[in-house]
Amino acid sequence: MTGQALIFYTFAAVAIFSALMVITVQNAVRAVLFLVLAFVATAGVWLLMEAEFLAIILVLVYVGAVMVLFLFVVMMLDFTGATQKGPLRYLRPSMLLGVGLALGVVFLLFTVIGPKQFTIMDYPSPAARGADYNDVAHLGMVMYTDYVLAFIAAGCLLLVAMVAAISLAYRGHRAKRQRPSDQVKVKASDRIRLVKMSPGSRG
Amino acid sequence: MITEQLFTLAWILVKILAILLPLVVVIAYTTFFERKVIGYMQVRIGPNRVGPRGFLQPWADVFKLLLKEIIVPSASNRFLFLLAPILALAPALAAWAVIPFDQQLVLANVNAGLLFLLAMTSLGVYGIVIAGWASNSKYAFLGALRSSAQIISYEIAMGIALIGVLMAAGSLNLTEIVMAQSGNLLSWYWLPLFPLFVVYWIAGVAETNRLPFDLAEGESEIVAGFHVEYAGGAFALFFLAEYANMILISVLTALLFFGGWLSPFQGIPVLEEAFAWVPGIAWLLLKSACFMFMYLWLRATFPRYRYDQVMRLGWKVFIPLTTFWIILVAVAVRLGVGPWF
Amino acid sequence: MLENYLPVLVFIALGLAFGLVPLFIGFVIAPHRPDSEKISPYECGFEPFEAARFKFDVRFYLVAILFIIFDLEVAFLFPWAVVLRDIPVLGIWAMVIFGLLLAIGFIYEWRKGALEWE
Repeated sequence: MTGQALIFYTFAAVAIFSALMVITVQNAVRAVLFLVLAFVATAGVWLLMEAEFLAIILVLVYVGAVMVLFLFVVMMLDFTGATQKGPLRYLRPSMLLGVGLALGVVFLLFTVIGPKQFTIMDYPSPAARGADYNDVAHLGMVMYTDYVLAFIAAGCLLLVAMVAAISLAYRGHRAKRQRPSDQVKVKASDRIRLVKMSPGSRG
Repeated sequence: MITEQLFTLAWILVKILAILLPLVVVIAYTTFFERKVIGYMQVRIGPNRVGPRGFLQPWADVFKLLLKEIIVPSASNRFLFLLAPILALAPALAAWAVIPFDQQLVLANVNAGLLFLLAMTSLGVYGIVIAGWASNSKYAFLGALRSSAQIISYEIAMGIALIGVLMAAGSLNLTEIVMAQSGNLLSWYWLPLFPLFVVYWIAGVAETNRLPFDLAEGESEIVAGFHVEYAGGAFALFFLAEYANMILISVLTALLFFGGWLSPFQGIPVLEEAFAWVPGIAWLLLKSACFMFMYLWLRATFPRYRYDQVMRLGWKVFIPLTTFWIILVAVAVRLGVGPWF
Repeated sequence: MLENYLPVLVFIALGLAFGLVPLFIGFVIAPHRPDSEKISPYECGFEPFEAARFKFDVRFYLVAILFIIFDLEVAFLFPWAVVLRDIPVLGIWAMVIFGLLLAIGFIYEWRKGALEWE
């Protein structure tokens, strides 16, 4: 299926291009938007692997929620001073060390945790599913039973995150309290009194 | 092989245009009916100069908007400024890909339809945030901040309400959700999921930034909010996105809680046969039109909420309420209570 | 499954392209006569003073962070709701514990006053 390959390479190219732009573009808001594009392209690749649920959740959670927070943070910080020069301003002889390190990491990736060690090559690639294949139901059947501990651990993590967010970002009350319930309950008759006046009397 | 694929693609394009073009016409006439309906509610006549009874008014508006200069403010980020309206419109339109109009009449019958819709709705916030930031104007920035915080707050309640529908139907596929409601008028989900329906509808109004939740625009405080700097065609895009989202929410409410294309006379002996000739899509459009009217009615009736009240309603009322109700629904589904589950 | 998503992909692409049309018309047909007053940021007729991008209330971040957490909760609920009819009892209890954890967090933030807007 040539069309599918074409779509895959388009998504992959967009993902790689936008990932590169994230670290090279000068404007921080643009960097975040390129990260969004990278996520969207990755979601496309996942969808091509028939991971329907994960692909849409990637868009829903990362693009729809996490990146909004990133945008908030980046929009608040004042980056005007740091955006004058390109990324090449960091170019130093010592960067050779970094290049060497990066090559070493790539080497390690391939030799130590490469596909061979995980015997991924020994498995055939999964067959394409029919039109009515529903991976959400399959995920649901295993996630809450076979992987119940990981699921509960995720719940604990979310609780910790919630408490941490409040203790970091919340600064307590600053103004006197209002009682919105009372404000909503106010009737027109509490605020205004209509007076009957005869049309003849003036003033 | 290649020609076959191209043919498939062309056929898809034709089908998409068959959804998009009527949608645009409906949007144009929604603006017209909005002005008419609110006019009559306020004992005015509304637009009546262009064409018979003002019926050509939307076209006059379209041409006027398109032929106006697009002003790009000097302080703005030009590219992002022009990208924002496109990003606001694209998800609002793309969500229509998975909407079924009848049992067989659906462009993309995807399994995770409901999830896709939620994802597309969550993308709408980008157009607003980027517009507010790229304009480099105080009102736009404030409007974008308010609007994005409001949208994400109501999205949670909306998501939880959708979970309730999902539990009752046992499927993410919109066609199956509608078919699970078949029976009669009382087997539609508005009855067993009534609080979820109310929350979904109100959250939908808040998501689309419509009155009484239009703090993003709040013309008496921040002029026009995030689109204060936009003019002409760029403004028209925001307008299109807002109305496309309104119609989407109306159609979704009809699909998820009011039996979609199912006839309201289903299960009633004589009337069912008498109305069997009506195509399903007519019922869907009729039900959606009722909710569109509700949008206009709300706008004509209610004053704008204050921001703390909006946030309080979203977090402290809707989230506990929907959570409580989906627990009830879960228990009912598990025990197989009533005719619905 | 993939053939169902092809129309969605085309629809998204067409949606993006659709947005370009009014902008294109606006720049080609519509007049284009900017002057310094017209393209200055709108500020009720005043000269704009101080920068338009300012540091805003930290509360907005808190809302965004809490939104992420609840959005994840909803994401976890989706597969559970789909298989609710067939899931073993263990799965029900798993969700009960998960829900209790989040309820504790929600009650904590409520009591703490993090949901208040003054």
